Amino acid sequence: MTIKSIAAGLLATTMLAGAAQAATLQVAIDSAPAGLDPHLITAFNSVVIVQGNIYEGLTAIDIDLAVVPGLAESWEVSDDGLTYTFSLREGVTFHDGSAMTAQDVAASIARVQAEATGSPLASRVSPITAVNVVDDLTVELVLNAPFAPILTSLSGIAIVPAEFESDVDALQQTPVGTGPFAFADWQPNSYIELTRFEDYHQQGKPQLDAVRFHFVPESATRQVGITSGDYHLLPAIDPATALQLQGIPNVTVQETRDLSYTLVGFNAAREPFGDPVVRTAFNMMLDRNEIIEGALFGAGVPAGPLSPALVNWALDTGEYACYETDRDAAMAMLEEAGVELPVRLTMNVLPRQDTRDIAQVVQQQVSGAFEIELLNQEIGQFVQDWQNSNFDLFVSANGGSPDPDEYFYRTFRGGGSTNVFRYDDAEIDEWLDAGRSETEFEARKAIYDQVQRKLACEGPIAHIAYGNLFTAVANSVEGFEIYANGRLTSLVDVTVQ
Amino acid sequence: MRTRFLFSRLADLAFVLFGVSIIVFLMIRLVPGDAVAIMLGANTDITPERVAELRGRLGLDLPFYVQYFNWIGGVLQGDFGTSIWTGRPVAQEIGAHIWPTLQLTLLSVAVGAGLSIPIGCFMAQARGRGIEVAVRVGAIAGLTIPSFWLGIVSIFLLAKLLPGVSALGYVPFTQDPLGNLQRMILPVIALSLPMLANLSRLVRSAMLDALSQDYIRTAKAKGASQRLIVYKHALRNALIPFITSVGVMTGYLLGGAIVVEQVFAIPGLGRLVLGAIAERNYPLVQATILVMTSAFVIVNFLVDLLYAVIDPRVAQK
Repeated sequence: MTIKSIAAGLLATTMLAGAAQAATLQVAIDSAPAGLDPHLITAFNSVVIVQGNIYEGLTAIDIDLAVVPGLAESWEVSDDGLTYTFSLREGVTFHDGSAMTAQDVAASIARVQAEATGSPLASRVSPITAVNVVDDLTVELVLNAPFAPILTSLSGIAIVPAEFESDVDALQQTPVGTGPFAFADWQPNSYIELTRFEDYHQQGKPQLDAVRFHFVPESATRQVGITSGDYHLLPAIDPATALQLQGIPNVTVQETRDLSYTLVGFNAAREPFGDPVVRTAFNMMLDRNEIIEGALFGAGVPAGPLSPALVNWALDTGEYACYETDRDAAMAMLEEAGVELPVRLTMNVLPRQDTRDIAQVVQQQVSGAFEIELLNQEIGQFVQDWQNSNFDLFVSANGGSPDPDEYFYRTFRGGGSTNVFRYDDAEIDEWLDAGRSETEFEARKAIYDQVQRKLACEGPIAHIAYGNLFTAVANSVEGFEIYANGRLTSLVDVTVQ
Repeated sequence: MRTRFLFSRLADLAFVLFGVSIIVFLMIRLVPGDAVAIMLGANTDITPERVAELRGRLGLDLPFYVQYFNWIGGVLQGDFGTSIWTGRPVAQEIGAHIWPTLQLTLLSVAVGAGLSIPIGCFMAQARGRGIEVAVRVGAIAGLTIPSFWLGIVSIFLLAKLLPGVSALGYVPFTQDPLGNLQRMILPVIALSLPMLANLSRLVRSAMLDALSQDYIRTAKAKGASQRLIVYKHALRNALIPFITSVGVMTGYLLGGAIVVEQVFAIPGLGRLVLGAIAERNYPLVQATILVMTSAFVIVNFLVDLLYAVIDPRVAQK
């Protein structure tokens, strides 16, 4: 090989590398995030920008929703299930240039747990009673009881520099993490830009120069924007938009089963829904396939208490007897239970297109036994009534979680933090407590099978459908893969022509 | 007399702003669901302690009147407070959003009002002829077509006809003058067309009225040219209702063309206040509405001054 050809080869590689890097990925989302502090945000639009892009946790969730190493390279669990020892990756730096150490991990967990922070994630780390810094790259978490979901939970706990432990304002505006992209600019109502973090701990990644999240409220505008090439990526679009974009030549619509689901909630503290028989009868009057056809354009599957995306846990909905639509049997059950028909009720509806459409189909399906008046509420009103358990019924959508405990415990445990249904069942409580401390998979699975069977028919929620999650990707984008939890985890591998 | 006029207008402004400040303050607070509820959402872990802590930190646990006096006291000293969600000073947020709205308003008014005069004059002169009827039908169509529909259709058309031309979003003029103007074309059309339709009909009827006056016959008799008659004698007298309408429309547009800003993803005042209401971002809603109100009142004040310029009799009264 001559020197000339080596030089030419070098030149070609540098040019190629240059061409691959000199690119900004244009993403359009429907509204601006409320803030960017990873320990305070809850809205999807905040999380989608921040998690995995700017921040990382000790663990991470891969495309099959399994737990994989994140900032921790490996971990060991003590035999009693109470102590987790994490070995941190070497050479990880924050965007401000400082090194990430065990102190930062300890401070981050303390920040989430602190009352003054008011973090919605606090309950996910509540079993942690102590965080011991062993050395710079080793940290030990001590739990008060075995808590199997902790590894999943830790993927959502962003590691921030220790100096922010008691500062609850700074990170909302200018986040500092260890992720592949660093925060660069926020133009209110216009866009947020992240730029490539040169010292990212995975060599050669990310490939993009920058990612710009545009806030585009109008769905038709986003749709035209990706067609015309203004935008490359539309995450989490609604089924109607997805349907229209599927026919467009330079756009691919990726689709996966969504972790989140739509539901009808019952107020167990109000008659007649205090009676499990009435809740079962309501379930029997629903035809979930018809709802999916009518309201979700066929894009979805009937929902049980757990998403089929949780392949290890979810039971097949065929196992639930009440999912077989049988109006006559339901009416007979109601009469036997001494319910005076028809029951007049109101149903609060979350202001979203899919939930509005579902509410109308449900209203039809249960008519005769239940005369439902739909209340199309503004979001503030809906949230307030939800929090105060001020409803007969509601239709809403819930985000899912990769571990059954995270959802079940706070929703169905008597006095659980989001048990707005006032549901209180001794058997369920006992099972949920047992599931939480059982670390052996088979035994744990047996417990959650029981829980699912009971909740599916007589729980305070009629799970309606797991919809599909759609993301439109321009064909100039390569390497993007959709994740069922809606995160843009694969941006680190994306290139754009 | 002029100074008395000025002072009475300033007094009006102060009075209006005071009234608006109270109404807005109460309205946004009486809507169900406060900022804390919206922040925490319907799908998170919420404890009463956290809600109380957050309310306390934002000062929402104080009685209404105390909150009002705290706020208005700050405003009188030039401090509009900070946005609940982003923690940035409200004045800075408004400052960042005012330019797109200002530019959009001025361009739309220039196009809409500017073109309406020749078109209206033409319609008055060519009254009843085929082409005039066609323009008139067009004007009625322009009046009835909503801006947002026009906006969405024009975006679709542009994407079909000229793929690759960016028409969405906003770039500051100082950063990229050409890109800025390019992105202004469609929204300005969407906003100015209904305005043009409205105003040209108004100019037409005012001109018809003016052209039938005695002094026009006199001007014709003395041999003045048609052009001179229309643009000097008739138009000047037809302008008063025109200016009033332009003033009112400008006032509305300065308040942010909410729908058009939504459709074209322009970060203007309309979107700012809409988002702020949805988030129950109290300080931001209050301050933005005060700014919009002031703009409206000031524009109308300028219109009053213009009357005197166009018709000197107004000033003498």
